[in-house]
Amino acid sequence: LEVKPASSAVLAALIDRLHDRGNGPAKDGQEDYAWFMQGVPCVHFLSMSIFPAADYDPLFLVEANFDGPPGPFWGQVEAAFGEVLRDMLRCCKRPLDADGALFDAVTAPDSRAPVAPYMEARTQRPSVFHHGNRGMTRDRILAERDLFVAIRTELATANSGGESPYRSMLPRQIHAGLRAALLRDRPWLAERAPVRLPYLTRLADLARLAVFAVLLVLGLSLPGLLLAPVMATPRYLILLGLAILLALAALYALRDPLPGTDTGGKTNLLGVIFSLRTLVIGGLAILLYLLTTALVTLLASLATGVLLREAWPGAERVALLGLASLPFSVLAIIAWLRWLELQDSSQDQPPVDENMIRQMAQREDWIPQNHMGSIVPLKPGILRSLVVHLGHLGLGLVLKVLPDSGVRGYLGSMRTVHFAHWAFMNNGSRLLFFSNFDQSWESYLDDFIEKAHVGLTLAWGCGVGFPPTRFLIQDGASHGRKFKSWARHSMAISRFWYSAYPDLTVDQIERNNRIANGLRKPALAAKEAEAWLNDL
Amino acid sequence: MQASRPPSWRLKAPHDIETQGLVVSGFSSLPTGRALFLNFEGKATTGGAWLRALDAVAPVTDADGKEQRAAAIAFTHAGLCRMGLPGAALDSFSDPFREGMFQEDRLRRIGDRRKGEWLDTVIPGGPQWSANTKQREGIAGVAGSQSLTSTGHQEEEIATPITVHALLLLYEKGEDLADGWCEQVRAVLAPHQVSVVHSLPLELLPDAKGIAREHFGFADGISQPIPYDDQAVALSGGQPAPRDPWNGVPLGEILFGHMNGHHEIAPGPVVPDDPTARAAGLKPHPLAEGFLDLGLDGSYLVVRELRQDVVGFWEAMRANAAHIRARDPKGSAHVTPVWLAERAVGRNTAGHLLCPGGFLPPNAYDLPDNDFGFYDRDRFGFGCPVGSHVRRANPRDTLAPDPSQKQTLLDAANNHRILRRGRKFGRPASDPPAADGVDRGLLFMCLNTDIARQFEFVQQTWLFNPNFGTLYDETDPLIGPKGQMTIHEKPLRRRIDVQTFVKMAGGDYFFLPGLSAYRYLKSL
Repeated sequence: LEVKPASSAVLAALIDRLHDRGNGPAKDGQEDYAWFMQGVPCVHFLSMSIFPAADYDPLFLVEANFDGPPGPFWGQVEAAFGEVLRDMLRCCKRPLDADGALFDAVTAPDSRAPVAPYMEARTQRPSVFHHGNRGMTRDRILAERDLFVAIRTELATANSGGESPYRSMLPRQIHAGLRAALLRDRPWLAERAPVRLPYLTRLADLARLAVFAVLLVLGLSLPGLLLAPVMATPRYLILLGLAILLALAALYALRDPLPGTDTGGKTNLLGVIFSLRTLVIGGLAILLYLLTTALVTLLASLATGVLLREAWPGAERVALLGLASLPFSVLAIIAWLRWLELQDSSQDQPPVDENMIRQMAQREDWIPQNHMGSIVPLKPGILRSLVVHLGHLGLGLVLKVLPDSGVRGYLGSMRTVHFAHWAFMNNGSRLLFFSNFDQSWESYLDDFIEKAHVGLTLAWGCGVGFPPTRFLIQDGASHGRKFKSWARHSMAISRFWYSAYPDLTVDQIERNNRIANGLRKPALAAKEAEAWLNDL
Repeated sequence: MQASRPPSWRLKAPHDIETQGLVVSGFSSLPTGRALFLNFEGKATTGGAWLRALDAVAPVTDADGKEQRAAAIAFTHAGLCRMGLPGAALDSFSDPFREGMFQEDRLRRIGDRRKGEWLDTVIPGGPQWSANTKQREGIAGVAGSQSLTSTGHQEEEIATPITVHALLLLYEKGEDLADGWCEQVRAVLAPHQVSVVHSLPLELLPDAKGIAREHFGFADGISQPIPYDDQAVALSGGQPAPRDPWNGVPLGEILFGHMNGHHEIAPGPVVPDDPTARAAGLKPHPLAEGFLDLGLDGSYLVVRELRQDVVGFWEAMRANAAHIRARDPKGSAHVTPVWLAERAVGRNTAGHLLCPGGFLPPNAYDLPDNDFGFYDRDRFGFGCPVGSHVRRANPRDTLAPDPSQKQTLLDAANNHRILRRGRKFGRPASDPPAADGVDRGLLFMCLNTDIARQFEFVQQTWLFNPNFGTLYDETDPLIGPKGQMTIHEKPLRRRIDVQTFVKMAGGDYFFLPGLSAYRYLKSL
């Protein structure tokens, strides 16, 4: 939501007042958000921030992570917040598109029209989204936390004062004893655990990635596809061979890091490309692509009446020659990118507003979770735009499909992110990032620097002023302090921020889930029970 | 032939005569120490005259070898202001140092104060001393919007009764020598209106192997980072010092002006170029044209005076052991107060790491072995509990989610190491400990170049993190607040109640200058 610059102070005050309503006079105590907790029972995290910028009017962003459909959610939010939401919208500009009429209706003096539909209409879905505990609804997370605490109490107080009955039991018996004790108040333990990620969801993730991969292969074979019909095969192959050699030579010439920017990272792009995983995925993509070609040829021959027998050889030749140009495309793009990287300016000391930093610090580290929102302008140029948009789409799809990130919630070796979003703003000229994470901002950024710098450099390396990168994923975020100050200067104050389970980390939610799933089973085998007890 | 002491690291020339001795050594051959906390009363600007006077009786010790006695000096930001360091130089220090430890958001992060009240981990009535750093300008507007909000929060001014401008550390062979030296120091400082506003007698009392024990009775100071740097670090024998696989950190983690763990020269303070500064030996700064490098071979010294409740500690261990015995009479024969205390610490009293079924055997020098990871040896903490003090203070590869990530996580943990130089104060408690009204504890001191990434990170993200290592709602059993601690055992974990055994009585961040910077400060 774009803010009228003159109204941004009022808007900030409105959000702060909402924040204070939640917190009471002191600045703490998430329990005080009970009214919001009950009013909006499907929300996990919600934040409101205003992003000032040198080149744009301020943006008012409401970030919401919730279960279920958006309609009822916004209805609940409106009911919980009341008229203040309308007052906030009055501080914003009338949108230029078709939502303008709705905006007028909602913000007219004395308007009683519900705000929810407008909020729903203005919602932008993230381009990349990461969820640490995929498939866990808020209710389930809370119920399982309650179960965890109840188990602790039961173990500490059973047969109060006297000998603990659990101490003399075998693992299997402990499980059975706890189950019997806790089932009384929790009938849901008798039910089977709901499947967190239905088979169909996983399949859909995979299908989306497959479509993306086929289109990517198609895009990368374009040079060959265009040339093949107009050139004889031998000539084409000679030309291609020379072009590939040329691209390789360029890569070799550009391989060295800029002086003083080498961070000695071991992962490099060629290593990633020629890793078994990429080769297998790439092979699958090419296979899929060929299948698709065959299918398209078949459909085309059906549609045009040309016999498949006659159409196929031509189509096959073009498709294969097209594929043959894929290595050239890949190498040429990398060389081009590398050339751009070598010319890039990085901002060693971004200007930071001390007041902003102070206000951020004031709102951080009250609970073991924190929030950050940042917007960075993107580097210009056609190749960069293509890479950042496609790269994002691809990264998002891959993250969902890989079991580590899509199911178990890891980014690299870190599992501290509850919800993270990326989205393009202002006609794709700026990149928005929101994250709800465990621990402090410093430790979160250090995690990125130390454990996920490859992915991070890929995701943020397209931002103006990012520390020097090498071949898209090397160096970059490993310039730790520079990266931190760059990230800090892109951030806005998270004025209102709500967490439905402030004491739970992603790891703890998974731990609670393992415990609950174990307790739902009527009996465990001896080995199983031993492992299960290890989590208590 | 086997050496009786393991090789230690030292600085190569010229850094050895440019660095304070405290950096390379805890002065274990000088068992008696004094910490004198100085205040520049009187004059608004003291300059460096007092330091020149002090230099005559207690010159700062450099790092080139053993000394008959030793001195080290460090300054708070407030102290440097009072000495008349130029504004450009004062502003070139990092934020944590400029704001001081007692900034409200910082105190919340490191677990001392919340919502305007001192927490249980601080002595009753609040800490006695700090730098009382003046607040930087208040919060006014937000970039892009004209004014802040109606409910804008005014930052709290947090002050302690005693204001510390500088810390002088003296190390001597015996009590009488130390007392005499202190008198000399007081005498030369008095005419300059610099007074000793607080002091602590520091003890080491190392045993034959050179291991000192803290007041609870555990060997202390065993695990230290070992710096490496091709240009500046060598082993005591002069051989090159390769990177230690378990505890190696780049020298820039400990000294400004050297490569640090973030692949850059550890940023330190600068001063505007002028003849006095040149004469003191300050070198041109590699990045800031027109400035000299005030930081080179210096560091930040984090100081916290921690009082230990020895009686309370052992009382709690006894109560827990009794409770566990009552709840589990058949399976708890091994649970004694010492057994529990060892679990809280993570090492046995002699300093050997706890392992499943025992402890780590001593190394080739018959000293506690410090070259180990947790992941392969004891992933779930059946030996050394995940929530124990040593594991929280340096998790090594504990937090790796799978074996392929062990090295990554070890490297990550080593980006947050601190070089500890603390000593205990107060007469040892009797055995068994009895209430005697004596203040005793640890003057915690550590060196690091990035306070936020090193000291504060360790404090916040590891020690006081209620969710460390997928634990829930518990913090460091030894130095954290009252709470619980989980000790993994088969088949079922035990949980014990811990009290607040350690309370902070004062603290702040200091700048430990290199010797050129020290000469420059003298010339002010």
